[in-house]
Amino acid sequence: MSTVEQPDRETELAELVEQHRARRAEGSERRHYDLDDRGFNEVPKKWRKFYRHWLGAGDTLAPNEIICPVCKVVIRSVKEIRAGDRLYCMPCMSRLLVVEADDGTLVPEVVY
Amino acid sequence: MSEFDPHALAEEDFLEEVRSVDFWFQAVDGYLRDRSYGRVDGTPEPVMEAGERDNLITTLCNYCVGETAALEASSGLVVIAPNRHAKIFLATQVLDEARHLEVFIRRLSDLGVEDPEHEIELRANPNLVRFKDRLLEFVADRDWDAAVFAQNVILETMEYTVFRAHLQDADPVTAQVLDGVVKDERRHLGFGENDLGRRLVAMPEKRERLAEVRAELDELVLVTFEEVQDSVGVERSARADLGGEYLAAVERLGLT
Amino acid sequence: MADFLSQYSIQRWLEMCPQGYLEDTVYGHSPELKEPVILVGNETLREESIRTTVQLVVGERCALAASSGLVNAAPDFPSKRFLATQTLDEARHVEIFTRRLFDLGVKEDDLESTLDEFANPNLVKFAEVLLEKVEAGDFIAGVVGQNIVLEGMAFSVFEMLEAVSREANPKFAETLTGTIADERRHVGFGENRIGSLIREHPERKADVEKMQAEMTYHMLATFADSFRGNAAVVEETRAVAAAEGFGPETAEWHGTDLAAASPEEMEAILADTVLGEFKTRLGRIGLEYQSPPVPA
Repeated sequence: MSTVEQPDRETELAELVEQHRARRAEGSERRHYDLDDRGFNEVPKKWRKFYRHWLGAGDTLAPNEIICPVCKVVIRSVKEIRAGDRLYCMPCMSRLLVVEADDGTLVPEVVY
Repeated sequence: MSEFDPHALAEEDFLEEVRSVDFWFQAVDGYLRDRSYGRVDGTPEPVMEAGERDNLITTLCNYCVGETAALEASSGLVVIAPNRHAKIFLATQVLDEARHLEVFIRRLSDLGVEDPEHEIELRANPNLVRFKDRLLEFVADRDWDAAVFAQNVILETMEYTVFRAHLQDADPVTAQVLDGVVKDERRHLGFGENDLGRRLVAMPEKRERLAEVRAELDELVLVTFEEVQDSVGVERSARADLGGEYLAAVERLGLT
Repeated sequence: MADFLSQYSIQRWLEMCPQGYLEDTVYGHSPELKEPVILVGNETLREESIRTTVQLVVGERCALAASSGLVNAAPDFPSKRFLATQTLDEARHVEIFTRRLFDLGVKEDDLESTLDEFANPNLVKFAEVLLEKVEAGDFIAGVVGQNIVLEGMAFSVFEMLEAVSREANPKFAETLTGTIADERRHVGFGENRIGSLIREHPERKADVEKMQAEMTYHMLATFADSFRGNAAVVEETRAVAAAEGFGPETAEWHGTDLAAASPEEMEAILADTVLGEFKTRLGRIGLEYQSPPVPA
């Protein structure tokens, strides 16, 4: 039986703040990531490693990950995510723009 | 750098990719290949109390009402879709909705229901039936915006959230069936929000009309939400978050 | 009826199509196959390929509108379910033939104008006759028009095109093979489902036969335009292809060598084949084939 991917928003927000601060502290060098397949099977094989399910309590977002506000899937990038990045959520077909919120967190906005 | 980076695609290429039948083939293959009628072969049928079984039958009958509405509406929308991408996507949705109906009807048969279509009629939630009628009126009137809003935003969000909640406590066979359906629903609600969002940016005057549609349908949706969750047995404390998904989508579209 | 319709479940469709004969294809063909360079590079050959492909897109768009439109008119869930699979099949056909236009150099922004420029007006009228029935929610006429007449025509046209392309253009031939496999299901459903409905509603025969005659008229007119009316272009295309060493030496189809046949002979063999199929299929479901007036 599958688990339900229901992110705890407060935890998610706190984690995003933490991660964003950590990234800033690291300086401006942008990290790159080799992505691995995390078993996300809702898109064609060649795109699968760019997405994963949110695993709920205990799960954390890496600096190259962000949660799609529409379908709650974790979107992964080969680069550390920064404000201004454009990301696509293939499972729900959303186009997202990463923006920096007032509190310094990075949040994805749906671009229509 | 990855050879295939979806985030590096031009916007037109991204839309061409995700709304194609080819994408759909490969996407559903990932989670349906090892299943027959949504369930993994060999999964034992769970033992249920009579009351529990009866509740599940009522719930599944109402899922069938929702899926019938979606099948009839999405097929009716193909011909009025404003562009070829939308037509192609809706054709994949037609197939998805027919499959959902098929797997839920099969599950009803597994549970001993001899005439599922008759049982669905008997147990249909009147609010959901009214919602379905209203949705099909929008389609018959060729009212694309209202129909996509009612179907791909309201109905799909409701189904998505209710199915996910149900999945947590469902018996293993029902959970397998719901799992495949939820994965389809992600595409449907994403299509609805993105299509409408884009149209509202281009034609903001339509926002007022859709807010009226929302006001008209909200009551039906929220009452149905409550009643279906009662039958599924979702804890009251979890319900605000479920309604929240719908409200968040409506807010993103500026229809509050 | 229930037993026959149980053969058309979504589950079976998934196993037969995406997990069956379409597995490992991209837009209906093996990923490594491309349109022949000579076809894309020679303006005469390219334009003729575009003209042919446009007719396929027009026909498939009609089939998509008809099959999706008939879902709501279907009187039972198994029929709705089958029509849902057909809707997806037709959408796939629209997609792969549209994709072929792009492969032949048509720009995305020029797609609709290209369709308008090359679409045969008689084929458009053929589609309008059918879609009028679908729009009216007439399930019996809609399924006869779509799954017997339109699909019957498409089946033979695709077979003929496949025979001509098999050697010279494997990519297009593979694309057509997949669509032919789909069409087999569609014509099968049409015959099997409508046979019982015609028996239950004999009063509908005259009206449905009238629609068949009207659609057949426009179909034959389309064939006439495409072969006799286009004979100079067909011959020129053939001469250019021969000079370039492109095309099959022989392409046997229903006893005719399509590589050597004149446009008139090609039209005759196609029309005879399609009409022969119509008569047989219509007879099996209890309808009598109605001859249309011969197009001028």
